[in-house]
Amino acid sequence: MATTTITYDDRSVRRFLSASVIWALVGMLVGVLIATQLSSWQMNGHFLEQITKPVHDFLNAQFGWHWWPYFETKGFSFLTFGRLRPLHTNAVIFAFVGNMMFAGVYYSTQRLCKVRMASDRLSSIHFWGWQAIILAAAVTLPAGLTRGKEYAELIWPINIAVAGIWVVFGINFFWTLAKRNERSLYVSLWFYIATIVTVALLYIVNHLSIPTSWVHSYPIFGGVQDGLVQWWYGHNAVAFFLTTPILGIMYYFVPKAAGRPVYSYRLSIIHFWALVFIYIWAGPHHLLNTSLPHWLQTLGMLFSLMLWAPSWAGMLNGLLTLRGAWDKLRTDPVLKFFAAAVTFYGMATFEGPLLSIRAVNALSHYTDWTVGHVHSGALGWNGFMAAGMFYWLAPRLWNTPLWSRTLANMHFWIGLVGILIYVASMWVAGIMQGLMLSQLAAGGATLEYEFVTTLKAIQIPYVLRSLGGGLYLVGFLLCAINLWKTARSGNTAPVTAEVTLLEREKKERMTLREAFSADPVIYFMLGLVFTLLWFFLPPHADKAAFAVMVLLVAKGVSVFRANSHGWSHYFDRLLENHLPFTVLIFVAVAIGGVVQIIPSLLVNRTVNIEDRLQVPYTPLELAGRDVYVAEGCYNCHSQMIRTLVPDVMRYGPKENQGYSRLGESIYDFPHQWGSKRTGPDLAREGGELVAGSKVMRSGPRDNVWHFNHFIDPRTSIGSNMPSYGFLADKATDFKSLPKRIEVQTRLGVPAMTKDTIEQGAREQALEIATSLVAGKAFLPSKPKLAGDELRNHLAESQLIALIAYVQKLGAYEEISTPARQHALDPDSRLRVATPPAPGTPGSATLVPQKSSN
Amino acid sequence: MFKRVIYQEWANIVPIISFVLTFAVFAIATVRALRTPKARREELARMPLDS
Repeated sequence: MATTTITYDDRSVRRFLSASVIWALVGMLVGVLIATQLSSWQMNGHFLEQITKPVHDFLNAQFGWHWWPYFETKGFSFLTFGRLRPLHTNAVIFAFVGNMMFAGVYYSTQRLCKVRMASDRLSSIHFWGWQAIILAAAVTLPAGLTRGKEYAELIWPINIAVAGIWVVFGINFFWTLAKRNERSLYVSLWFYIATIVTVALLYIVNHLSIPTSWVHSYPIFGGVQDGLVQWWYGHNAVAFFLTTPILGIMYYFVPKAAGRPVYSYRLSIIHFWALVFIYIWAGPHHLLNTSLPHWLQTLGMLFSLMLWAPSWAGMLNGLLTLRGAWDKLRTDPVLKFFAAAVTFYGMATFEGPLLSIRAVNALSHYTDWTVGHVHSGALGWNGFMAAGMFYWLAPRLWNTPLWSRTLANMHFWIGLVGILIYVASMWVAGIMQGLMLSQLAAGGATLEYEFVTTLKAIQIPYVLRSLGGGLYLVGFLLCAINLWKTARSGNTAPVTAEVTLLEREKKERMTLREAFSADPVIYFMLGLVFTLLWFFLPPHADKAAFAVMVLLVAKGVSVFRANSHGWSHYFDRLLENHLPFTVLIFVAVAIGGVVQIIPSLLVNRTVNIEDRLQVPYTPLELAGRDVYVAEGCYNCHSQMIRTLVPDVMRYGPKENQGYSRLGESIYDFPHQWGSKRTGPDLAREGGELVAGSKVMRSGPRDNVWHFNHFIDPRTSIGSNMPSYGFLADKATDFKSLPKRIEVQTRLGVPAMTKDTIEQGAREQALEIATSLVAGKAFLPSKPKLAGDELRNHLAESQLIALIAYVQKLGAYEEISTPARQHALDPDSRLRVATPPAPGTPGSATLVPQKSSN
Repeated sequence: MFKRVIYQEWANIVPIISFVLTFAVFAIATVRALRTPKARREELARMPLDS
């Protein structure tokens, strides 16, 4: 057999590894900063005044240095929690874990395929392109340029760049597979394929937007549709960006580090297919007890519970690979990290399904329990897998022993203690706050605690969380020093290997047609089709479908018994032909998305609303909403009163409005249901039209209260909200409103008269500003402004637009909707006996009955 | 709220369909895993160590 010498492309691996370490430090540093902001509001920027002002005062008093600079601010816009939290999550997910994943994929794929990466140029484009994207994110997110969707905040030009670079990565990867000198695909490569295909699918669908400018766009989905698509993406960002590629890395690097093969290859097959198929369905568990249709909630919960099995299969396979090597854990930091990481994977994937049980979720959702769960996965599973892989790779990439095993061991213990403190404090904070929020007062008719009281009660866990995160960051700092020293003491001599060239005969290649016309696929698909027909066909026809399904199963079993070797051979050939294999994975992951999302996308939305329909925003309110989104208010405030008694008692008691209905947020592009309540829910924060005004509204708290609260949130004693006084000096972009409203109209929001958009917005702003001046509002940044000057200044500001938006929240119309069956109704045949009322038009009509909020 | 007739009825049927689908995938993967010859399994499992 012919052989050849190949030189692995380890330069790309070194680059990705180094970038991962650098971005890890950045992402974790921002994480620690925003953690401190939750216990000390001053950390939103005021701390700079607290540090520099005393120095200025001292120097001025001692030496007369009045010119010595100092900060004077309650907070900086680019340092607020709302803007930095997306930076933290994006940096950790896409920069730290992303680069780590690429390092692991590039290293292991070349070895498993016994070939150099297909294209050095594509590898370089991939690396530099990804770093440019991260840099762009690091600039735009603190600047308040965001799409307002969690883990999908980056603005649309960056989205296109991400998709492009991902395609470059995909081409390079699949090209490498095509050139491989190894017949079969190892299980790690299966996980990488699933990652590349699924992330592309998720990312593209959730980022579909219509631009209004170079830095702003509206997603094409709104309200419940946006919520569903967002969490289909959000959950699977965890699944297919933070889990499947890392499992691939686990299946390669743990056996390498332990010096023994994976515990059970059989288990890895079951693990892979079950995980890939089930994970994609679990997204709706992020929307339990909301106004999401009940069947979707049930589906999300059911599939989350089923995830227990494959997740633990993977954990056991990883841990048991260390059988016979446990003694090495005492001395080998790499195995220590891997063993702890896989254990955290098991713990996090036990906790996830637990939190997806509706009753448990009623307590945990919107609290820090979820935050603790996420971090046990991110810090324990992702962070420790990364560290183990770095320590294993560094000596091989730089041809020298690790600079200090002691330092690596120290990293392990400091990091482990940090995680435990972090996670335990978040459990305490989350469960305590969740219980307090639902605690009834004596008599049972009212709630015991104000929201802010529950926030004050969890301040000690919040401080401990900062401590835990700080320790973890210190551990990674030690890692960075260790890797830097290792790299400096070694060299980057190329690594070569002698490999046997694979000469694949034409008959071994499987075409797509062959792949999908094979007996196993045909019998499976036909069985599936007739099972569905059994469910959906009318009486008697369904029995016929059932009979055919039974016959097909019997025939399939008989064919399998006659030709079991052929069926086994089919799977083996599939493993040797990556394209049909990839298509099969795509089908597996697409099924979940199609079943969940298509029904909610196809229906003409407004005509299917019943009982309540959102009142569209005025131009100024829309401008205020864009400010709300840009400032990342959704990071701390929800707009969803769940179908739970404590939620309704706290947020929905007025006029028995109850829980949030789907129609109340149907014009929200993007939806702002939120995922965490550091502050109270705002779904009904607004109010009725003020007497004599056509547009200005006032809720339970009037304009002056909101103005003072935004300037200094400490008007609510105990609040940890950043000060938003800077919005009073930022001008509203009135000129952009016609374009924004045009896009909203294209998305289905009732049209407005174009000519009056800007004028209407200015008039409403002036009306609100007038009410503030009449209410003796005082603007600290412009202390000399008063009367008309103050009114005119405020009327131009974003703060007024934000107040207009907040006062609109919860405005809806009561409607009556004549029932009409649509094609998507699976049981429409059962309802033929219920004709529409006489005089009812063919399509549903909206009959405003009363305006309420 | 969207009409219940369109969405809520799916609550009865979709979880069952989904479960059937998943069970089928799980069963096929399991049968395949159990029927993989030992020598083949060991060969595949050793791939990282041989690289």
